[in-house]
Amino acid sequence: MQDQIRWPLVILSAVLAEKLEQQPFVVIVRNQAEFRHWLSGPLPGVQWLQVEQLLRDPDVWAFASHGISQIPVDVILGDPASEFSDLYRLVDVCAVRDVRVSIPAAPGLFKAVKLATSLGLPIRILPGQPTAEVLGELSVILEFYLHGTMVEAPVEFFHSLLASACGAKSDSIWTIVEEDPAAFLHYDDQGNPRLPRSSRSPGNALRLAEFVESHFKSLVERGAECATCPWGGVCTGYFKWPDPSYSCAQVKQLLSRIAAAANEISRDLAGYESGFSQSETKE
Amino acid sequence: MSGRIFSVILLPTSECNVACDYCFEHKQPHRLSTTLIPLLTRRLLDHLENEGIEECEIYWQGGEAMIMGPGWFADAGNLMDRLAAERGRRFSHYLQTNLISYSPAWNDVIRGMFKNSLGTSMDYPNVHRKLFNGSASAYTALWTRRLQEAKAAGIKIGVIAVLHQGSLETGARKFYHYFTEELGLTEFQVNTPFPGGPAQQIEGGFQLDNGQLAAFLGELFDIWMSEGYRSGISLGPFDALVDHFTHRAARLPCIWKENCSNQFISVNSKGVVAQCDCWVTSYPEYFFGNLFQEPDLTRMLKTNRARRDFVERPKHLVEHEDCLSCRYLSICHGGCPVRTYSAKGTIMAKDPYCEVYKVVFARAENYGRQVLVNELPKLRKIAGEQKFAS
Repeated sequence: MQDQIRWPLVILSAVLAEKLEQQPFVVIVRNQAEFRHWLSGPLPGVQWLQVEQLLRDPDVWAFASHGISQIPVDVILGDPASEFSDLYRLVDVCAVRDVRVSIPAAPGLFKAVKLATSLGLPIRILPGQPTAEVLGELSVILEFYLHGTMVEAPVEFFHSLLASACGAKSDSIWTIVEEDPAAFLHYDDQGNPRLPRSSRSPGNALRLAEFVESHFKSLVERGAECATCPWGGVCTGYFKWPDPSYSCAQVKQLLSRIAAAANEISRDLAGYESGFSQSETKE
Repeated sequence: MSGRIFSVILLPTSECNVACDYCFEHKQPHRLSTTLIPLLTRRLLDHLENEGIEECEIYWQGGEAMIMGPGWFADAGNLMDRLAAERGRRFSHYLQTNLISYSPAWNDVIRGMFKNSLGTSMDYPNVHRKLFNGSASAYTALWTRRLQEAKAAGIKIGVIAVLHQGSLETGARKFYHYFTEELGLTEFQVNTPFPGGPAQQIEGGFQLDNGQLAAFLGELFDIWMSEGYRSGISLGPFDALVDHFTHRAARLPCIWKENCSNQFISVNSKGVVAQCDCWVTSYPEYFFGNLFQEPDLTRMLKTNRARRDFVERPKHLVEHEDCLSCRYLSICHGGCPVRTYSAKGTIMAKDPYCEVYKVVFARAENYGRQVLVNELPKLRKIAGEQKFAS
């Protein structure tokens, strides 16, 4: 969804979005009227609709499966454990527009990921600061993503981290999950820019574009484990926000497994290349 | 306009000219009048318009569709296509027939309306498809003659074979060679049976042992891969599964769709609407409504309680059955509602052939991997040529 967009991308409620014109933005829609309005007559700058609290409404998805505009939708699940089976409502929508599912790291996450992948839907996991229970699910999901032969659509944030470990363009987890205010500027319902996963106001002194850098710098200065963490470059303190005392031990295990998988892929590719060169030489 | 396609299994009659044991249909001497075609078409087009769908596939079945005669089809097809074109939509027509009353008089309409192809059915051995005099062998002889006549007229023919106990006892090799060598077919598919409607009264034959059935299908898959896959024989649903596992565009059969209720309905000659031909001919408790009596098909489909069961079924299965933990969920979604209903008396359960499907899926996955590995040298060659060119 992020190709050819000018940064930062503004993400704001439907009411506030009415005032925007050419600037690229994402509209958060939370009821049927907003959804219908923005799907039917999107302003030129709208990049996609962030759909919240509507997965259970069959009328919304029946409407979205009509060919009215091709605007993509990002469907946010509130509670994956109770909502996962409603993903079946998106089947017809996928035939007419791009659909992504964003799932908070909460109990039931694996169920939602399993069903979304079986429907071919790209997924964005919103990890936040996962509990031990959810880290268990993330571990199972990572295994499923890495080795499940039936998985075809990307499962973020794993997918971009794996690509980056394999040598592709590298983004931080903040950017991958679209929480870095320098690239994705979220506004609250009053129209104030807000910090990621926090109701706190950024304060006058802090420039949001420098939030991640300044947060990471402060962690390192305070002697947090980030200073020596091998994943500091891609994480930049993501898992230490908003609670800087969060222990990253299990998160690091997940990231290590991604790195190990990337190494495995690199070895396989090297083997393939060498076989390829040998067969070329023989010919 | 969306890229979705809507399909209608249209039964212009529930009359039939043969007397097969395992037919699930309640046959009635009723035919769709040409005077009702404009109304039927208008209702369908209204629905397409409401749903923003451009194309509608019409699968003409019966009863026996050919009972209506070629002239009737030519008139109905022309009228429907004209009305659709006037509203910026289009119909694609497909014909499924037992071929028993095929004659050269059909060739023009088959060429024009059905793109010179048709679907028919035959089993091996044939013990259940019978003429009214009760003879299966006479049925086979007559059907085979009609098949050869239609092939000689240049018509492309696909055959559906329903498996029964006799097929399993005969063995996969003989079964395969009957269709490919004795009949000279290049396109056929195997269906699993289900004891729906009147067929429920027939003892035995249709309740197959899942282990035996899985073994049969596994062997048939092996034979097709070794003898037919590379020589242009299309054997469904194996071909679609191999396409899927080799990352090609695959059209899996309706029994394995995410939700069949999203994609088609069936309408009979009286205007009754239900999920598919199996439901419209056998299970009144699951009728959605009547197209000739209710002015708005979209509303009927949206509000009918029976249809809501179909819509909700996949959701129910991932919540209450073990489908979510199955590695093949993405290509099955709990299987066929009518097979489930005929075996278990409810649609809110997974397909009784679940274990059979898993064997077939695993076979397809394995073969898909082999096909991809075998294609590596070819891919390397292409990569080499591209490297050289650049």
